[in-house]
Order: sequence, then structure tokens, then C-alpha cells
Amino acid sequence: MNWLRRFLDAPPELTPRQAARLAAWRALPSPRLDQPVDASRYVVVDVESSGLDTARDRLIAIGAVAVTHGRIQLNDSHEIVLQQTQASDRDNILIHGIGGTVQREGTPPAEALLDFLEFLGKDPLIAFHVAFDQAMINRALRTFLGLRFEHAWLDLAYVAPALHPRLARRYRALDDWMGLFHISNYARHNALADALATAELLLALQPLLAARGAASFRDMKMLEQTWHRQSQPV
Amino acid sequence: MSEAANSLIQATADYFSQFAPFDQMDAEHVLWLAQHATLGYFAKGEAVLSPDQSAPVPFVIIKTGVIQGEQGGARTPEGDAWLELHEGECFPLGALLADRPVTSVYRASSDVFCYLVPAADFLRLTRLSPAFYDFCTRRIANLLEQSKHLIQAGYSRASAEQQPMSSNLAAVIRRHPVTCPPDASIKEALQLMQEHGVGAMVAVENHIPRGILTLHDVLSRVVLAEADLSHPVIGIMSTQLTTLPPHAPAHEAALAMAKQGIRHVLVTDNGRLAGVVSEKDLFNLQRVGLSRISNAIRHAATLDLLKQCAQDIQQLARNMLAQGVAAEQLTQIITTLNDLLTTRIIELERQANPIQEIEFCWLALGSEGRFEQTLNTDQDNGIIFAPQAGQDPVALREVLLPFARRINLALAECGFPLCGGDVMASNPKWCLSLEEWQGTFDNWIYHGAPMDLLHSTIFFDFRPLYGAAHLGMSLREWLQQAAPKNSRFLHQLAVNALRNRPPLGMVRDFVTGDDHTVDLKLNGITPFVDAARIFSLAVGGAQTNTLERLREIATPLNIKPRDIDAYCEAFLFIQLLRLRLHHAQNERGQPLTNRVDPDTLNTLDRRILKEVFRQARKLQTKLGLDYQV
Repeated sequence: MNWLRRFLDAPPELTPRQAARLAAWRALPSPRLDQPVDASRYVVVDVESSGLDTARDRLIAIGAVAVTHGRIQLNDSHEIVLQQTQASDRDNILIHGIGGTVQREGTPPAEALLDFLEFLGKDPLIAFHVAFDQAMINRALRTFLGLRFEHAWLDLAYVAPALHPRLARRYRALDDWMGLFHISNYARHNALADALATAELLLALQPLLAARGAASFRDMKMLEQTWHRQSQPV
Repeated sequence: MSEAANSLIQATADYFSQFAPFDQMDAEHVLWLAQHATLGYFAKGEAVLSPDQSAPVPFVIIKTGVIQGEQGGARTPEGDAWLELHEGECFPLGALLADRPVTSVYRASSDVFCYLVPAADFLRLTRLSPAFYDFCTRRIANLLEQSKHLIQAGYSRASAEQQPMSSNLAAVIRRHPVTCPPDASIKEALQLMQEHGVGAMVAVENHIPRGILTLHDVLSRVVLAEADLSHPVIGIMSTQLTTLPPHAPAHEAALAMAKQGIRHVLVTDNGRLAGVVSEKDLFNLQRVGLSRISNAIRHAATLDLLKQCAQDIQQLARNMLAQGVAAEQLTQIITTLNDLLTTRIIELERQANPIQEIEFCWLALGSEGRFEQTLNTDQDNGIIFAPQAGQDPVALREVLLPFARRINLALAECGFPLCGGDVMASNPKWCLSLEEWQGTFDNWIYHGAPMDLLHSTIFFDFRPLYGAAHLGMSLREWLQQAAPKNSRFLHQLAVNALRNRPPLGMVRDFVTGDDHTVDLKLNGITPFVDAARIFSLAVGGAQTNTLERLREIATPLNIKPRDIDAYCEAFLFIQLLRLRLHHAQNERGQPLTNRVDPDTLNTLDRRILKEVFRQARKLQTKLGLDYQV
């Protein structure tokens, strides 16, 4: 992991163009988190990595789907595959299906991550089991762009059980909740397909959220935190 | 957009492409659609579209779940869902094309994920994609076309190398006709036939056909007649020629062969011979030929031979179905052959047991009267007779009844079961003089008791089949005058007809009984037949065929030709489905029924069946409005 240490120790060198893109992203205004769902844009993400160790494993891909005004905008979706110096091992490839060649031919990490940031803007991020996605994305952004990524995240793994407390014990994984709402996935463990499934889960939770008076990102966040405090770590 | 994002768009496009009409569209247009779609969620009970949303409304394609259309306003029959939409189905085409709000509430009857496309993009897509445009404007017609292709594909494996009966004769002609001058010798003509290996020789003068000689004729006219081979061939040729233009559809040639008992039809273009179409060209049949059956019927000397013919009719129908003959032509051909069969039975009966000179006419009733016979048709028939001055109708009836009884039994032996309701010529109630028939009909129209109404649905579809046709025609003319005058009677018929609702379901696609089936005849055919009859009676129409009736009422009742076409297509589809069902049952040696489990249909047919029921509802709605039911 020499390459990693090197980047951790010294901030990465960005080209003037990359630095300008990053500065432009930083300068974007942040949206208000109390505006209603049907006037907001959220970005639902899922990541694929070389393993489950957030400290050592590498980020391979991010899939992102925007939910605008309560609808998934199919064309407002994005997938980046980060170029890897070495492909992940065979078992791992079998999970996400991104082969060694594709991994090595991905976009150079700084470029890929800038693409991602520009796609994201400053809109809030939503995922299922945020801790993992957040850690992987944070580390990659710090490593390759020197960015301390402080962003609003919402975890559906806490929101969903908060709305369905009776199911909370049995329903843990994304697949459980997908089953409950008859959400299909055209390619499980493909970052974009999983992001789409997660976005569909967000849509399916909306009627219950509305019934609970949770009309904005901030309201959903409060629900998530309440459940987080009440429950064992999921 | 990055290349990677395309995987989601591509997956969405792939998903669309499983369903009609997207499966018929160019890949780039489906991709375009996916790029312009958003995905939304509606919880059970939520309205997806409703009339109070102002236009433009979005185009909706269902991803998962069920959406139900509820008819708004006072006309709702007890909150019936009038349509139910499932995965892959799209709506509301009418509202989008007309840029108006929807007229019904579309409500999620389960949790629904659906794709939503802005109206502007929908309209752009209709301009981009001809296939999509076609679908939106000719919805049922299009689905039917696809279904027909499927049927043909399915059957063509069984019998290869066939000409679809819808193709025109120009496409059926296989070679230049082999011809000779009329004054060629018989020997020369036969040699030419031998050299070219053809079954028919046509004599032409300046390309104008003058006569035809077939191999079949050779035996009787040349060999057995010991004809002088040096004589001009024209002398032994058939000179009553049946000709059709090249653009005539193949089934017309088939019908001509059936009616006239011939094996060859000449194709002429402005009088000039363009080709010869043989029965073999039309049907790649090993055993059963159209003209062979009709000739066999005409010449059958015993009931046993006729029984064989009746079986051949069924086999023929199967072959024609395999060739994609449309339901209208198919039922027409079956009816034509059954008419011949009935005629022959009556002729044989008259030979065996001569009855005194009574002027009478055998009436076909019910589906036979409407030219809509399929394979498991009960016999429905009657007799109309004309007593001469001084003759007593009762005495004539005494003579006719045993005669009719023997005919009914013979028909039963040929596979037309005796009518359970005893609607047969051997029933003294249905063997009447013209005057008595008028009195009976008049009574029904005046009283309109439940039994009267039921009878009128069978008897008012009468047509003359054998004998003194003018008697049947006189009765028809009388009915044309009498029926429109009594609006109360028509109202009662409408009330009766509307008791039978197409089985569109609230929860599933279809309302099915305990056995999980719908009745194609009762639920599918009858609503069209009943409505067409009532409308036809109301306008004083003369037709008995449902399609003809529908076409006949369009102008007087101010129904759009487009709607009439949709009704006719719906009716024909369900007839076709019924014919296919009966054949399948026949093949498996099962008794014929009209009940079908919708789950056994392919998705396309299931959708069309729903569309058919929707059209039936629409026609019934008109009936209900016109007669304030």
C-alpha cells in the first residue's frame, strides 16, 4: 500500500484545470435542507469496492441516480469507474462484475471523482448503509483530490425501519426491503443498478414519510437519527 | 451524458423492448424514450392521473403493479373498473393525442412503479417513430396484426410453404399460364399439359381466355367419352369461366372454389389471362380440399358420406386457420359449406320421402343465420311455408313436421347437436306460415316478456337457407317495418343485453368464475351480437351478420367509422380466439367449450382480449345511453 501512503502524506497534485473544476464545485451554493421533497434534488448512491475494509480497500465505482421532485430522472444518472493500478482479486470481481481490464481502463481517479462531484453538485446524498459508502467516497476524495468531503448524507437503512418498526428485526439488508416493495434490480451489485434500487426504495417510503409529516430532507434526517439512537447499530 | 450512465438507460430500454409496441420500434427510439422517462411511485389507492389534472398529462408505462381506470361521472355502472392495466402497458393515448385531460381516474390498485414521460416528449416520439405512431393511432388493429403473425408463425411449423390467404392472387400465381389456341387439337392440348406438368390448360384468343380443360375433366370428357383427339379442344372445354382480378385476395378464390365446386380460378387483368390459381396453390393440402368437399357434399348419395364431409369441413377449417385466414372469411366459408351440407340433407330427404308440393323455406337461425358458425354450433332452424288459397296451415304443418324431424336428426348425425331449447324446424312452434310467423314476431314485440326477448335474439337473426327464399325475405321486410316502431321493445332488449357485462376485473385482469375461466361466447361475442342486433332493428336494417350490421348502423346512428372498425376488429379477434380454442380442444379430443383460462393465453392475446372487452363495454355504454338503461 505504498501508493496509498504517498497520497495520504502529500496532497495530490492537481492540474490547473482540475483545480479550477474543484474550486468551481466548492463555490456552489448549498441547497436548504428544509425545502420539501417535491422541490428538491437528492442523489442516491451506491459504491463498489475491492473489499469491505474501508481503511484499506479501494473504491472501484460509484453509481448515482438523481431523485428530483420525488421522481427518478433516468437520464440524470451517472456511473464512474475509477482507473485502478491493480485489478481487485477474482472473488471480488465476481461480486460487482467489473473485470480487471475495465478497472484498469477506468477514468483516472481525479477526473472520475470530479465528474462525480459535478454530477452531485451540493445536493444531499442518500444511500443504504451510509457508513460504508461515505467512508469509501470520503477517502477517495481526500486521496485523489485533497478534499475533506463534508456533506449531508441520509441512511435509508435507518429510515426504512423507523417507518416500519415491526419489520425492523427481520429486515436488514437492501434486498429485504426491495422484496417488501416488489422492487426488482436489473443487475444486483452493479453500482448504478443498486443505486436505482435504493432510489426506488426512497420513492416507496415517501407515502409513509408524508404520513409522518416528514416532508423535507431535514425531517427525514431527524427520523433517521431517532431510530439510530433507539436501536442497536444495524 | 457519460457512457457509463447508459447502462441504466440501456437496461430501461431493454425492459421496454419486452412489450408492445416498444418491441416493434427501432432500438434508438426506445433508447430515446428511456432517456426522457422518469420513474415514479404511487402507493395503493393513489390517483396516477385524474380528470382534474389539466392537460398536458404524462405518458405512463407501468413497471410494476396494477393501475385501474374508473369511469367518472354519473354513467358509472356501480363503480365498475372499466379497465385494468398491468406491467408493460401504457396509457392514456387518447388524452395525449387530443391534448386534453383524461376522462377517467387512473388509480393504483396495488403499489405501482411507473415510467412517466412528459406529453411533449410523447408527441415527439410519435413523430420520430412510425411504429409508435402507428400503435397510438391504430391500437387494436396493431395488436391484432401482431397476434396474427404469432398465430401464423405457430402453425407454419406444422404445415410449411403456405400462402397466407390475405395475400393477393398476383402473389399466389406460380408460373406463366400454359395456353393453347381454341382450335388446337385435343391431342396437342394434352401433350402440352404433359410437357409442362400442369393440371389445367387454358385456351386463349389474343390473351383472352375462352375455355379451360383440367386433368380431372380428361377422364370423363376424353377417355370415357371416347373423344376424337383430332377435334378442336375448345369443344370439350368448360367455357363458363370463373375469373378474378390479380389484386383480389386469395380467400376470394377459395370462396369461389367452395361455392362453385371448381379447382381452378383464372386470374385476368383487364380481361387478359395473367395466370391460373389452383386449389393446390391456395392450400397445401394433402387430403382435404375446398372444392373436393363442396363437390363431395353436392354429390353425396348417403348420410354416411355427408358425415365424412362434415368431418372434412372441420379439418379444412383447421388448415385454413393454420394459413392465417381471417375469422370473417373462415366463418363465412364454414357457413357456406354447412349451408351446402344442410341443403344436401334436405335434398336427400326429399328424394327418399317425397312430400307433396308445399312452398316452403328452410330458415337458418342464431349464429348460422348470422353467418357466424364456428365448430360447435347447435342447430337452430325453422320452416316458413306458404299455404295456397284454401289450404289449411295446420294440415301442411302435419306434413312438414316429420320431414323436418328427419332433417334435424340427420344434421345431428353430422355433428350439429340437436338444439337443447328445441329451436328446430321439427318443433310445431317453429314451423309456421308467413302469416303465423308475423303474428308470433308481432306478439313478442308487443309483449316483450322475458321469453319473448330471449327468442328474438335467436329468431330475429333468421335468413333463408333452402327453398322459397322470397318467403324469408318477405318476413324480413315485415320485421324491418315493425321493429323500429316499438321503442319500448327495443328498450327491453337493451336492458336484457346490458345484464351481460364483459368480465373486466377489479383485482385481476378478468373476472373469472370458480374454474378460473372466462366464457368467450357469452362474455365476448354476445355483447357485440346483441348490441348490433338492437341497433340494426332500430334503424330498420336488413343484415343479419354482426359485422354487416355494425357497418350498416354507422351512418344512421352517427357512429364514427373509426369506432365501428374498432368494434369489428374486436369482434373478429374474439371469434378467432374461439376458433383456435375449439381446434385445440378438437386436437386433444376434448369436448368443445367456449371457456378459456386467461392465464393460458400469451401476454399479447391476453392484452387484446382485455382490449376486446373494453370495446364491448364501450359499445354497451352507447347502448345504455341510447336506451336510457
